[in-house]
Amino acid sequence: MSNTPDAARDPHRPNVKLYMAVFGALLCLTLLTVAVSKLHLPRPQAIAVGLLIAAVKASLVAAIFMHLWGEDGRIPRILAAVVFFAAMMIFPILDGAFLVPSATSRVAVADQHPDEGGAAAPAAEKPAEVK
Amino acid sequence: MNATTAAVPQTSSGISNAKLGVWLFLASEIMLFSTLFTTYIVLRLSATSWPWGWTALNVPLGTLNTAILITSSVTIVMAYARAYDRDVAGFRKWMALTLALSACFLVVKAFEYGHEFSLGIGPSTSVFYAVYFTMTGLHGLHIVGGIIVNSGLLYMSYRKDCWEDPLFLGRVEGAGLYWHFVDIVWIFLFPALYLL
Repeated sequence: MSNTPDAARDPHRPNVKLYMAVFGALLCLTLLTVAVSKLHLPRPQAIAVGLLIAAVKASLVAAIFMHLWGEDGRIPRILAAVVFFAAMMIFPILDGAFLVPSATSRVAVADQHPDEGGAAAPAAEKPAEVK
Repeated sequence: MNATTAAVPQTSSGISNAKLGVWLFLASEIMLFSTLFTTYIVLRLSATSWPWGWTALNVPLGTLNTAILITSSVTIVMAYARAYDRDVAGFRKWMALTLALSACFLVVKAFEYGHEFSLGIGPSTSVFYAVYFTMTGLHGLHIVGGIIVNSGLLYMSYRKDCWEDPLFLGRVEGAGLYWHFVDIVWIFLFPALYLL
């Protein structure tokens, strides 16, 4: 293909200048990530900034190096389906991430769900005396 | 359209089988690493304490490995560009450079592991280190897989008939897609484990 007149019009023709520009951007973003970590931001902000920079870097690699930018629409659609199903897997699991040991303690359950036994539960579970 | 072509339904997707196959394989890889990252999030959020990555791991070496892997992503896309133009010598040079950088990544990682083991740190030390060794270990295995595939392509490039094979460029592109995916995984692993 490369030696044919059509090659010049090929949308997937490698663009070396663009690759080098992205390479420079990726190295700068890597240094930025490390520099931001030196600021010792509070953890939520540090995680947000770190993951945002990582997402930008990953997008650059996927769009330019993996040629997703300008790719046939079917491959991005396949990827969208994958991300959807990955999210379906992740969200239910994340539910457990917000459970802390104190939230599932006997006292906490009794306090939040008094109608379901709660503090009275141990007494209810006490076996009946044998006469 | 004549009677013969009208009778044969068009089944081509317009995407080469090799590229479609690699993307479907990468789809399964996305699911695999999504699971691991979710596990990391769950364990981290439910832990009573979690160390900052920079207090537990060697950030300069992690940064060096990030730079090495990003550079190898450029060299493999350059190898693809040279193969696209049928520049045999250029392809071999860039692919050999990719392999050298891949080996450097593993050497740096082995040095890190070695230092941690010498301090008595292992996967059983804490949940943080269990996650660290599992995720970086699996990523390292993916690097080894990429090295095997890329070495095979470099070896094939020395056979004259491979450059006459129209499938060869697709193979190089597929290997590149896989390698960029491995790079993307590290792009998320590095801040998640070393910096946050």
